[in-house]
Formats: sequence, structure tokens, C-alpha cells
Amino acid sequence: MDLEDDTTVFTTLKSFNSFISRPEHPKRLSEPPAGSGNLQTQYKRSMELLDAAERVQSKNRYLQLDQEKKQMEMSHKRARFELERAASDSARDLEHEVDRNQELLGRIKKLEDREMEAAKNLSEKVEANRALRKNQEGLHKKLEERDLKLNTANQTISCLKDEIRDLKQKIQNQDSTISTQTLENQELQEQLDLQRRKYQEVSQLCQSLQSAQSSCSEHIIKIKELERRLAIQEQDISIVKIVKSEVARVPDLEKELKRLRDDNAFLRESRENCSLLKEEVEGLRRKLERMEKTKEEMVNIELEKERLAEKLQAWENLGQSTGLNIRKPEDLSREVIQIQQREIALKEQNYTLNSCVRSVERSQSELRAELTQQRNKTLEEQKKREMQDSLVRRLQKRVLLLTKERDGMRAILESYDSELAPNEYAPQLNRRLREAEDILLKTQNHNAEMEAQLTKAQEETGTLKLRLQTVELELESVKKQQQQASIAGSNSSVTKEEVSILRQKIEDLEAERQRLEEQNNILEMRLERHNLQGDYDPVKTRVLHIKVNPITVAKQQRQQEEEALREEVTRLRELVRSLQDGGALVHSQDDASLHSSSLSLSLPPSKEVLDLRKQMESAELRNQRLKEVFQKKIQEFRTVCYVLTGYQIDITTQNQYRLSSVYAEHMDDSLIFKKGSNGSMQLMETEFSKTLGQMVELHLHHQKSIPAFLSAVTLDLFSRQTTQEGRS
Amino acid sequence: MTSTLKGITIKGSAELVAEFFSFGINSILYQRGIYPPETFTRVTNYGMSLQLTTDTKLKTYLTDVVAQLKDWLFECTVQKLVLVITCLETNEVLERWQFDIECDKSAKETSAPREKSIKAIQDEIRSVIRQITATVTFLPLLETPCAFDLLVYTDKDLAVPDKWEESGPQIIAQSEEVRLRSFTTSIHKVNSMVAYKKTDSA
Repeated sequence: MDLEDDTTVFTTLKSFNSFISRPEHPKRLSEPPAGSGNLQTQYKRSMELLDAAERVQSKNRYLQLDQEKKQMEMSHKRARFELERAASDSARDLEHEVDRNQELLGRIKKLEDREMEAAKNLSEKVEANRALRKNQEGLHKKLEERDLKLNTANQTISCLKDEIRDLKQKIQNQDSTISTQTLENQELQEQLDLQRRKYQEVSQLCQSLQSAQSSCSEHIIKIKELERRLAIQEQDISIVKIVKSEVARVPDLEKELKRLRDDNAFLRESRENCSLLKEEVEGLRRKLERMEKTKEEMVNIELEKERLAEKLQAWENLGQSTGLNIRKPEDLSREVIQIQQREIALKEQNYTLNSCVRSVERSQSELRAELTQQRNKTLEEQKKREMQDSLVRRLQKRVLLLTKERDGMRAILESYDSELAPNEYAPQLNRRLREAEDILLKTQNHNAEMEAQLTKAQEETGTLKLRLQTVELELESVKKQQQQASIAGSNSSVTKEEVSILRQKIEDLEAERQRLEEQNNILEMRLERHNLQGDYDPVKTRVLHIKVNPITVAKQQRQQEEEALREEVTRLRELVRSLQDGGALVHSQDDASLHSSSLSLSLPPSKEVLDLRKQMESAELRNQRLKEVFQKKIQEFRTVCYVLTGYQIDITTQNQYRLSSVYAEHMDDSLIFKKGSNGSMQLMETEFSKTLGQMVELHLHHQKSIPAFLSAVTLDLFSRQTTQEGRS
Repeated sequence: MTSTLKGITIKGSAELVAEFFSFGINSILYQRGIYPPETFTRVTNYGMSLQLTTDTKLKTYLTDVVAQLKDWLFECTVQKLVLVITCLETNEVLERWQFDIECDKSAKETSAPREKSIKAIQDEIRSVIRQITATVTFLPLLETPCAFDLLVYTDKDLAVPDKWEESGPQIIAQSEEVRLRSFTTSIHKVNSMVAYKKTDSA
């Protein structure tokens, strides 16, 4: 107790001194943090002790005063000690600072390295950026191509839509048929079920029937057998009866047999007699027939005789009437021969006459030819005569003219003679007169000649006329003959020729008609075809339709649609251009959507973009899940580590790990390890680690084992806690 | 119907023929897919089910044309009705459904009804429409979007109504023609036929 008191005094003193010396050594105040936890108790104790100390002080006032001097010395010593200690501390701090400096230098180096790496990364990124730009341009091209394809695809889609429409129609039809067929099918199945049931019933009935039939047939067989036996027995009975009756009849039959034999003999005799009689009858009949025949012949002969007698009489009469000596057939034959001879002669005459006719015909044809010649000649002659008549008339006129001239001349001459003296112009006039007379003579001669010729010609014509008349007469006669001989004759041949010519003509005309008919048919067919194709005669017909018809409406609609599409295309082109100008805007869809919304047109995102978006979303989702899983796993791992090793390990900064023990007395008690560049772990100084100098020295500096150090710390803390628990 | 059961007048005949055109044009438009099939409804006429359009624009257009056609049929001034199907992309005429109308102009003067029952006429009309439906099997498929127009061939001396104008005959350059059945009301005779553009493969 005393010792304890002493120590307390000492401690109080110490504390008091420290309190006094605080302003001189402010650093010391923060030095003993380990004792601060027991301040309360200490304070109480110190309060008690202070009371005691007052008492002691009062006792040891003097001692104290003595001791004060010692104390002063002591404090002096102590101060020196303290100073030394501070020096050592500062030296250690310096070392610490040097270490930190080194660390910082290392860090700077690392940072420089990192900077270098960053620069490399930057250059790589720049290259990557370029590559991406190239890619982007490629994508732009692709996009354009896609747009083109999209257009074609749209066209094909429209085509396909039409097809789909057709197919839908077909499908509807088929659906309806299918539904009806299914209905039918159901009905049929129901019927089938019914039929099956019936069939089963029927088959059961059949089986029963068959069994019945089999039993029946057995019965029938038995019955038949019995019947057969019965019949045999009946037959036997009848046979027996017959035999009995026959046996009874045998003596009667023998008697009858005898009688019949007798009869038989008698009948044979009578049959022979009968055949003899029959032969006789036959002979008589033949005789009778012969007699009748002879009788008929006799009658006929008599008749013939009478006829012949009549004929003879007729012949005799004929002979008497004709006066010929036809008393006998020879006379007749002679007569006949005579008649035949006469006939032959007549025939010969006939032939000669026929030949005459033919010759006459020939002569007639000759004469006709001659006649025509003669006619021609007469015509010529007539012409000549006419010419000569005209000539004669002309000549007569000339003669008249000449006579008048001559008279005029004579009158002139007479007048001249009377007026003028005949001597003056006499020779001249005489010459003229003579000349005129010569001419006159000549003309007169000529005239006479002409008259002679004329008379001659007239005579000729007269003869010709005579001849003509004779010829005409001949012709008439010939004609008559001809008419008599053959009415048709040469005329018919002429008509035949004409007929043939006419026939030819008719045939030609017929052929032409057929040709024309064919042509007409062809033309009609063509006309029909044209009519079918919708051709019309613009003179008679006019084609009308309503102004607002579906075609024009559809065309207008189409045009409008086309314009709208064109506008859209231009807009889209602008959009594409702006996108190209924007460069990296393609991947940011927000911008694109902004653009599209600003153009009041929703750009349908291409399929690729959509796909990429989807992929991205899924990737993000996966990432999220992985993160969650990792966090979970890390948490699990940490808790497991915490539970198993008793340390919670946290990463404060890079390459720094903070370990806090389960059994730590304070929340802030922790150890910090730093991972060096060579992979070794280094313990960093903390408030807690400072209290573990011994363990650090032993396990880290000597044994160089971090796990051992950590285990030692754990054990120490655990023991401390358990002791505290035990104490409390 | 103004006609009695036994005979038929020119007015009744015009109405019957116009009605036939209405149904015939509707079935061609349906069969050839000029308008989508969902815009048609089923009705029963002539003892058979027919498709009628529900498209209001098309309806008004068809009623306009048919009403005018009825007048012309009554006046016996119409010669032909042609339904032309044109490709919108190339403006090429692909099909021509031609209905030749032969009018008995003597019926205009004499008002006496003709001896032909409506049932017999409707039977003939039904067979014509059936044949129109059947032609889809051999007509080439219309692959491009198409529109149609109705042309009416009338007499030259006719006054053109306000809404109407003159048009070309819209003839197909190289066509195949197929004659269809005809029917007659004994006043109007309608011969139908279809011409379509020859395909390259054929």
C-alpha cells in the first residue's frame, strides 16, 4: 500500500511536473495517448491522493523544501534527458521524411511512366480515331447504298403487297373451303361413328346368325339324312307291293301270251295277203293315170288338128285371094325370097339417095361458100357501080360545065367578032378556038369512053344480079334441102361453139366471183377484228367518258404521291448531307433524332442501327449483371476473409491495403500495407502500428513474415479482449 | 320494272341492261383486283351471289355512268360500253372489256311490249356474268397498280352532257380477243368480249 502510495505520489509528481513543463515541451502532451483512457480513475485517485498529499505536505513541508532543490536538479537532468530524446525523435523524423521523399520520387517516376503511357495511349487513340473516321465514311457510303436498296426494296414491297393481296384473297377462299370441308369432315366422322356402331351391332348379329346357321345346317343335314332313309324305305315298300302284284298276275299273263301268239300268226298271214292286194291296186292306179294322160293328149291333138285345118283353109284362101300359086310352102318361101330381094334393092336405092343427100349437102356448103363469095363480089360490084355512077354523074356535070363554058366562050367570041375587027385578033382567036375544040373533042372522047365503061359496068352488074338471083334461088333450094335433110346440121355446131364460149365465160365469172367473195370475207373478218379491238367509225360514232373518272383520279393521286415522295427524298438528302457534315454525329442517335424532329420527319432508323442498339443494350445489361454478380462475390469473399482471417481488408488507394482486425479495441485501429513495385508488401506506420513496435521488430524485421505478424497481432488483441472480459 | 310478266318494253329493257352493266362492272373490278376485295360486299341477284363495291367514290361514279347510260339506252343512241383497265405506271392499256349494244330502233316508235320473259333474260345475263367470272382463269395477272375507265360509244349526233367529254378509243396495241356470251332483251342485244394485251411469253 505504501509502495503503491509512493508510486502514486511519484506519478502525481511526475504529472504535476509535466503539467508545469508543458509550455516548455508542447510536444510531450500528445505523446502518451495510451494513458488517456484511464484519466477518470486517475483523476479520482489523484484527488484522494491530493488530500493525502496536503496532509503529507503539511508534514513534510520542510522535506519538500529540501527536496525542492533536489527536484530542481532532477528536473534539470530530466530536461536534458528530454532534450536528448527530442533530438533522437527529430532524427527519426528526418529519416522518415527522407523515406517519404524517396517514396515521392518513386511516385513521380511512376507518374512520369504513366504520363508516357498516357501519351502512347493518346497517339493510339488518335490513330484509332482516324480509323474510326474512315470507318464512318465507309458507313456513310454503305448508308447511301442501303438507301438505294431500301428504295428498290420498297418497290418490291409494293409488288409483294399486291401479291399478298392476291394471296390473301386466295387464302380467304381456301379458308372458307377448308371450313366447309372440316364441317363436312366432322359430319362424315359422326356418320362414320354411327356406321361403326351399326357395324359392331351387325357383326354381333352376324356372329349369332352364323352360330345359329351352323346349328341349323347340322339340323338340316340330320333331317335330310332321315328323309333319305324314309324315302328308301318307302321305295322298298312300293317295290315289294309291285313284286307281289306281278307275282299274282303271272298265270293270267301266260294265258294271254298263248292267245297273242295265235293272233300273231293269223295277222302275219293276213299281212302277206294285204301286201299282195296293195301291189295290185298300185298297178291299176298307174294304168288309170296313163289312160287319162292319153285322153288329154288326144283332146289336144284334135284341137291342133282343127287349128291346122283352119290355117290350111286360110292359106288356101290366101292363095285364092292373092292369085299366087301359094298352094305350098315352097311357093311361100319363093315369094319371101322375092320380097327380100326387092327390099335389098330398095335399101341400095336408099343408100344411093343418102349419098346423094350427102353430096348435095357438100355441094350446098360449097355453094354457100360460093354464095358468100358471090355476095362479096356483088357487094364489090355494087360499090364499083356506085363509084362509077358517081363518076358518071361527075362526068356529066363536067360535060355540062364544059358545054356551058363552050357556050360562054362562043358567046364571048361572037361578041368579040361582032365588036372588033375580025382581022386583028383572028389568028389568036382561031388558035384558041382550035385548042378549045381539041379539048372538047378530047372530053367528048373521054365522055364516050366513060359512057361505054358505064354501060359495060351496068351490063356486068346486070349479069351479076342475074347470077345473084340464081344463086339465091339455088341457096333457097339448098336450104330447103338442108332443112329437109337435117334440121340441125351446121347451125348446131355454131351454137355449140357459142355455148362453149359462153360456158367458159361463165366459169371465169364464177371464179372471179368466188375470189371476190373470199376477199369480201377476209375484209369482213378484218373489220370484225378491228371492231373487236375497239375501233370505230369516227364519222358515225363518238367515244365519251366522264371527266372525273377513276383513271384521272388515280393519276392525280399518283402524281401527288410522287411529289410528296420527291420532297421527302430531297429532305432526306439534306439530312444525309447534314449528317455527313456533322461527321461523328452518326453514332449519336440523339442528335439524329433531334435532326429528324427538327425536320418534322421521323427518320426510320435503319435496321443495322437498331440491331446495334439492341446489341448495346444487351451488352449493358450483361455488364450490369456481371457487376452485380462480381460485387456479390467480392462481398462474399471479403466476409469470408474477414471471418476466416479476422481481418477486414480494404483498398484505400492504389497499391495500399488497410487491414482492420476483428478484435481491435478501437474502430480506427488498423494496419496499412503498401505493395511495392517489386511486389513486396511494406507496413506503413499508423497510430496502431506504433503500439506494436515489439511485434514489428520480432516478426517483420527478424522473421520477415507478414502472416506471422498478423497472427501475433490477432492473438494479442484477442488475449487482451478476453482478459478485459475476464476482468470485467 | 315497268314491264309485265309476259312482255318487255323499251324502258324496261333499258333498265335491265343498265342493271346488268352495274353488276357486270362491279364483278370485273372485283375479279381483276382493281379495288381491294375487302371493299366489296356480297349481294344476291339473278339467283347468284355477286360482289358490290362499298367504296363511296366508286359508287357515285358508277351510279352517274349507269344513269346516263340508261337514258342513252332508252334513246337507242349507244353503240358500245367499254371498260378499260390501264396500268398507272406506264399508262398502257392492259385490258378492254367491250360490250357491243345493238338497239332495235323500231322499238322506240312502237310501244308494244315484246314477247320475252324477264326470267329468260335474267338467265342469259347470269350466264354472261358467270363467264366474266370464269375469264380470270386465262387472263394474265395484273402485276402493277391499275385503274379503270368507262368509255361509251354513242351516235355522232348526240349532245355531250356536262360531266362528259370526248375520249380516245384506248385500243390495245397487241391484243388477244376472246368473245364471251351475249344476251338479248329482244330490244337491246349485248355482245360481250374481252381483249387483253399479249404477254411476251405467249
